[in-house]
Amino acid sequence: MANYFNTLPLREQLAQLAQCRFMHTAEFADGVEALKGKKMVVIGCGAQGLNQGLNLRDSGLDVSYALRPEAIEQKRQSWKNASENGFVVGTYEELIPTADVVLNLTPDKQHTSVVNTVMPLMKEGACLSYSHGFNIVEEGMKIRDDLTVIMVAPKCPGSEVRAEYVRGFGVPTLIAVHEDNDPKGEGLALAKAYAVGTGGHKAGVLMSSFIAEVKSDLMGEQTILCGMLQTGSLLCFDKMIEEGIDPGYASRLIQYGWETVTEALKYGGVTNMLDRLSNPAKIKAFDLSEELKDIMRPLYNKHQDDIMSGHFSKTMMEDWANDDANLLKWRAETAETNFEKTPAGDVEISEQEFFDNGILMVAMVKAGVELAFETMTAAGIIAESAYYESLHETPLIANTIARKKLYEMNATISDTAEYGCYLYNHACVPLLAGFMKGIKSDVIGKGLSLDDNGVDNARLIEVNTALRSHPVEAVGSVLRGYMADMKKIV
Amino acid sequence: MDSLTRLDNIRLSKATVSFEDRFTLSEIDWTITPEQHWVITGPNGAGKSALAAALAGIGDIQSGSIQGLPNNVEIVSFEAQAELIAQELKKDDADIMDVISLGTPVSEMIFDHCQEAELAQALVEKFGLSKLLERAFRKLSTGETRKVMLIRALANKPDLLILDEPFDGLDVDTLAMLQAHLASLIDTVPMVMVLNRFDEMPDFITHVAYLDKEREDKERGDKQSGDIGRLKLTVDRQDDTAFNELYQLLHLKTTDLSVPEADPTNKLPALDPSQPLVKLTQATIQYGDTVIVDKLDWTIERGQHWQLSGPNGSGKTCVLSLITGDHPQCYTNDIFVFGFQRGNGESIWQIKQFIGYVSTNLQWEYRVSTSCKNVIISGFYDSIGMYTKSTDSQKKIADQWLELLGMQDRADQPFNKLSYGDQRLLLIARAMVKHPPLLILDEPCLGLDDINRQLVLALIEKICQGSETTVLYVNHHAEDQITGIEHYLGLEKNH
Ligand SMILES: NC(=O)c1ccc[n+]([C@@H]2O[C@H](COP(=O)([O-])OP(=O)(O)OC[C@H]3O[C@@H](n4cnc5c(N)ncnc54)[C@H](OP(=O)(O)O)[C@@H]3O)[C@@H](O)[C@H]2O)c1
Repeated sequence: MANYFNTLPLREQLAQLAQCRFMHTAEFADGVEALKGKKMVVIGCGAQGLNQGLNLRDSGLDVSYALRPEAIEQKRQSWKNASENGFVVGTYEELIPTADVVLNLTPDKQHTSVVNTVMPLMKEGACLSYSHGFNIVEEGMKIRDDLTVIMVAPKCPGSEVRAEYVRGFGVPTLIAVHEDNDPKGEGLALAKAYAVGTGGHKAGVLMSSFIAEVKSDLMGEQTILCGMLQTGSLLCFDKMIEEGIDPGYASRLIQYGWETVTEALKYGGVTNMLDRLSNPAKIKAFDLSEELKDIMRPLYNKHQDDIMSGHFSKTMMEDWANDDANLLKWRAETAETNFEKTPAGDVEISEQEFFDNGILMVAMVKAGVELAFETMTAAGIIAESAYYESLHETPLIANTIARKKLYEMNATISDTAEYGCYLYNHACVPLLAGFMKGIKSDVIGKGLSLDDNGVDNARLIEVNTALRSHPVEAVGSVLRGYMADMKKIV
Repeated sequence: MDSLTRLDNIRLSKATVSFEDRFTLSEIDWTITPEQHWVITGPNGAGKSALAAALAGIGDIQSGSIQGLPNNVEIVSFEAQAELIAQELKKDDADIMDVISLGTPVSEMIFDHCQEAELAQALVEKFGLSKLLERAFRKLSTGETRKVMLIRALANKPDLLILDEPFDGLDVDTLAMLQAHLASLIDTVPMVMVLNRFDEMPDFITHVAYLDKEREDKERGDKQSGDIGRLKLTVDRQDDTAFNELYQLLHLKTTDLSVPEADPTNKLPALDPSQPLVKLTQATIQYGDTVIVDKLDWTIERGQHWQLSGPNGSGKTCVLSLITGDHPQCYTNDIFVFGFQRGNGESIWQIKQFIGYVSTNLQWEYRVSTSCKNVIISGFYDSIGMYTKSTDSQKKIADQWLELLGMQDRADQPFNKLSYGDQRLLLIARAMVKHPPLLILDEPCLGLDDINRQLVLALIEKICQGSETTVLYVNHHAEDQITGIEHYLGLEKNH
């Protein structure tokens, strides 16, 4: 199988990358009608499989689970997930032939083997759906011509997909139809109904392409979302220890700090996150982030280039073939880092203190979000897509670190994201070594502690203008505006 | 000489006091120390005046005791005033001489009664009664007799001063004068006042007692009819939070406002009246080998208010979640709700639209930074948080609810900044806002302190009045009852 993206002419590549449109609520007026009475069979009952299935069933759709035989025989967690929730569970042979829609929600790494196994069992003219396009785009999986292939990709971890639905809302979702596999022209109708069934239409749906989804998703998760937070955690922690700050405090400041500062991001973008700082601290954070952006820009470009060329997926697939040797080694290394091994101390840190004493963390988030966004859009990815894959998802990943540090983050994200995260981290830590030498506890751990909060007017105006005029802020305020009345969970 | 140390604590211990078979104060436990100044408050008919009177030695103590009452107690109340006037009129009747009596002059009414003529004289002037001294008492207007009463009480230097609605009917100047005078007495005499209006409460008041009435318990067997008043709460004025909650409680209890109407612009689909609201057939909930609910048959007909009780772990919340559609096993059970046989292509939102729901759990899950008003409006959407623009009609209804709750001024405040009790009240309003056919109150008082419990019960009582909603009330203790519920389902622990 060849990398699908690389088989396309440049013109087509650019056209696919640029596919992204925010859909209007009115486009979902038909609700789940296109899927009513159809049999939806989910393969895999993990984070996405279970939670999407629960939502779809609660939206009145017919959902059952086809699991691999060993999962059923050994009554694995996936089997428990499905059966304790009252779903019909069966083997591929029992359920796939009856399915009108097969939802492939197994790990990306398994897609080739899973799809090769189930495809012959699928009935003529059925639909195969994905929540991530890696298999189609990077592995070039060819799907039988009579089958419709769609993607419905919630831009959130599975637990959020469920939690938001139960609140009466949903998570932003990206849908796409694989143009090579839309024999009956019903792909879009099915994808829309599926998005309604998961509640995604309430939070905003982007009509995109498999290619745009994959190339932007990979870029975001490797760089700002997981990579930057991992690198930032390790560097900030070690610096604080070097500066003599209590390890328990340092550990807490980082573990919960990402969540707290990116919460501000969720409400009002980078601008609001920096507005939470005092004026001198804001200017400091701005300067640091400019410096960080200059240093890291080549790294972001390299990630995007490797993703576009297929080099990233090629090397990762080599690691898959090598029994995940690198992934497992890097995972073990992460567990041995000082930050990971130091439990958060039993100290009270107020919400504002996370900002005041975490200026460098704010600067890192700003630099990462803006760089990822700039790099993606420069590579032809549309701003809306780039926004969701950078700024929008950052708080969600930060939440996982608050729960159980980097271990939890890496356990929650996909193997692909985890692999990319380690790649980024390995390059970024040495890259920032010189920069970190100049860092003192005033920007990480202690705060500026100035007697006078005065700043130069002209400089402040300059910084504020730069913040507010960054393109990620423009598209962000529009997309957040779609959720205008919605007030998010704190 | 006026030092308060001369006085004992007044202590009511489980005092049950009856008033001519009309009214009973039941098992009052209350202590008044000499340096305290109390206001007694509560809804109409709760026994505020009765309690005040009991301190003046009026009423028959049936059981328990009242100790430490000083000898020199003065009470000013409508009852005492009426009595005094009645006595005066009786003197007329009893007059054997064939002369038309002029009645007792005011001066005699005052000076014969008081120990301190000088003080009495000063008060007469202060109250502007100098010109009326020679007039017959029974010729005075109600307001004037009230003033005489007050002068008599004050000039008598009592050791306990009881004032039942002392400010009623006084003109502004007199009111200010009286307030000032009372304020000058705070170090000399403990005062107990009955006030219906909180805003009239003098600053020196240190404590508030809140009474409420209960309907007579028919099973008690005694033939006495009439209401029973109970002392529900006492609040220290220093405790701002409790004080505000009490204010709110009084508002709820005394307001004439009724529950706002449902949204006329967006009616719920009609239900077939011949069908039950809910029918569970052999409902079973099981995790692995553990059976939580075992073959439960339960039908809820329209208008049948139910109470569901059982110990922790008996599956109360599980059973509810089968009804609300929140339990995944509702798809493996035979459940009929609001016209839907579950598992036939209906969505949970089609079910939830017929249900109003409140529980402690909901409150935990409702961690949103949305406004109080939006919390109420979210009841129209069965959502946690608001994700759609609300309509004008919904906003108007939410405002009416806020007014009923006495929370108008908090409409735009963030919900998560409210007290636990206020949040609960808003969530009850949220559950009720669409006038659902079924209102589920899952341990609505759980985790609330006394005063908030009273608030929540007051609201529920208000909601249940004349509404078409069927109530399903869930609690831990079978004893905690809401009036009007006559069907009971008790769950046992199965595992
Ligand atoms: N996690 C996210 O945040 C996220 C967000 C959006 C989209 N997605 C996409 O959603 C899809 C599923 O991801 P996930 O995070 O839900 O994965 P997951 O939690 O790891 O669950 C995967 C499920 O697939 C089963 N499975 C594993 N290997 C299998 C095989 N060879 N054959 C059959 N079944 C197998 C597993 O059960 P057994 O091992 O018991 O069989 C498990 O239940 C991926 O395409 C991912 O990219 C994920």
